Amino acid sequence: MSELTKPVKEQESFRQAMGWLHTWGGLVASWVLFTIFLTGTIGVFDEDITHWMNPEAAVVSDFDLASMTEQRVDAIKKGQSYLEVNAPDSHSWAIGMPTETEPGIRLFWRDEQNEFQETLLNLKTGEPMSAAENRETEGGHHFVHMHYEFHAGMAGIWLVGFFTMIMLVALISGIIIHKRIFKDFFTFRQKKGQRSWLDGHNASAVLTLPFQLMIAYTGLVIFLSIYMPAGVLANYSNPQQFFSELLDEPMPRPETGVHADVVDLSVLFQRAEVMLGKSARFMRVEHPGDSSAVTKVFGWFDEEDYYGQLLRDETGSVQFDATNGDVMNVIPPGEYDKGTPMAAQRVMRIMHFANFGGYSVRWLYFVMGMAGALMMATGAILFMVKRRQKSLNEFGSQTARVYRVIEVLNIAAISGLAVACISYFWLNRWIPLDITDRATWEIKGFFYVWLVMLFHSACRPATKAWFEQWSIFTLLALLLPVMNLLTTGHWLASYWQAGDWGSVGFELTVLVFGLMSLGLVLFLRRKMVSQVRQPQLKTRSEAVS
Amino acid sequence: MQLPYPLRINFLVFAATIGGYLFTSAAIIFLSAIVPMDKPDAIVASSLFSFAIYTAAVIWVFVVRDSKRAWLGMLIPTLLLGGAGLLISRMAS
Repeated sequence: MSELTKPVKEQESFRQAMGWLHTWGGLVASWVLFTIFLTGTIGVFDEDITHWMNPEAAVVSDFDLASMTEQRVDAIKKGQSYLEVNAPDSHSWAIGMPTETEPGIRLFWRDEQNEFQETLLNLKTGEPMSAAENRETEGGHHFVHMHYEFHAGMAGIWLVGFFTMIMLVALISGIIIHKRIFKDFFTFRQKKGQRSWLDGHNASAVLTLPFQLMIAYTGLVIFLSIYMPAGVLANYSNPQQFFSELLDEPMPRPETGVHADVVDLSVLFQRAEVMLGKSARFMRVEHPGDSSAVTKVFGWFDEEDYYGQLLRDETGSVQFDATNGDVMNVIPPGEYDKGTPMAAQRVMRIMHFANFGGYSVRWLYFVMGMAGALMMATGAILFMVKRRQKSLNEFGSQTARVYRVIEVLNIAAISGLAVACISYFWLNRWIPLDITDRATWEIKGFFYVWLVMLFHSACRPATKAWFEQWSIFTLLALLLPVMNLLTTGHWLASYWQAGDWGSVGFELTVLVFGLMSLGLVLFLRRKMVSQVRQPQLKTRSEAVS
Repeated sequence: MQLPYPLRINFLVFAATIGGYLFTSAAIIFLSAIVPMDKPDAIVASSLFSFAIYTAAVIWVFVVRDSKRAWLGMLIPTLLLGGAGLLISRMAS
């Protein structure tokens, strides 16, 4: 670490300081950033993954509620009567129309303890859907949640923001230390150990640099008001006042404690549809049962209608007093008109979510995101490869021990996470359907597998650990379609016949990753064999290089 | 007086993360006071630049590499910008 404080010539010392910042900032953040990138990249296809993970739902998803007024109104009625009986003292309710991946009346509420709850009701009966018609799963949303909050709520959001800032700093310092940025576009020196890792790191970073900068910055901007509250705090004693002025909406009403019944929501829903001149899709009630209750109805929204729009139109909404049906606020559908700064933020959000141009944009983001993950993985491995050849002795007598910890974390964060992700799909098919909190068990399973991988990488020599974990990944990936056929009867050909391209794409992608991993396994095997042959030359070097 | 190396590194890292965040916050307060827009719009517009400002501040700290100069370089502008920003906002309203 001592290079940071050595006195050197001004110019060189600047580059050296940036080199230090890039190396250590990058290393410390690489494990978390790899997790954020891999899960975010998988999450690009969250809907298709959810669909594959809920095979029972596929059978009942054949409807288009946007054009069926009676069914929509009926869904609101069923939703309200369920919530009134089962969640009377909640802080909020929400009722959503079915979607392709969630083919029932979607109910959400924050219960008395402020815990978030949800359930799906059968459209015909108004009863919670059984396991036979809806597999209880987080589906692809699990990856999205890992991506921005690690399933840890506000603490997770701050953690992701913190590491994303390190990513920005590492990108900028990485550009500064890079002397030959254009030449490295075309450089890849194969089978040259450390040079190859460096070239791989540079190529994946430089080729996709604009994307990496964009995705980091727009990601931070999504939580702008959480990460950077200074401007609001300095000018408003009540942040709600700021949001109400900014968005031109009435202030939220505080709970009064005085009881008041919620009126028939389906009537308000219909009135809102007439006022908006379009179908509505979602309805939320704040403080149901209290005299301060307010409800908001949101206009129908189909992603396809907004393709090519980076500044997406308003979908429209109407807000009512939920105790008497008085209109409190109307935002008509149409051009977005909340001012230039908010429009800029909206564009950045939409750019981050990758849902403005269908599958072509999604695949582009998937490839770019994988390149980002590769940049972090190769960076972390490069750090170790460099030091395995010649220890830089940064931590004095503790150096070897610190290197070992870094190596273990590298393996657990990279191949360990890959195994956890693929296991999540196996768990989806293997965990019994009628178990309570099934969706939570799938996610717990994901973390348990990851933890086992961490122990495994701590117990095994590095090259063996890499080899074994990628072998597990290869098996689980290549056998996934077979396992799916055995457990659900679906496979590539049947998906193909049904025109279920999302599931075809999912299984083919898993197979491609399985084959790439197989290549890696064979490479590691050759490595291990050559290490056995020349033990005296490479003492103690459990190299992946 | 020369502090031991790990301690100096820690002071630098804190100057970059905490000092940099304070500086960025002050810069937002100042910018949102002088940007000629309605207050809520001015706040959003200035905040949108915050992560670029923060990045630049962190890089600057590691270029300076002296924890005392780095901390002063963060705190003095923080007080000046923050104070000026608050003052201008109060006077305007």
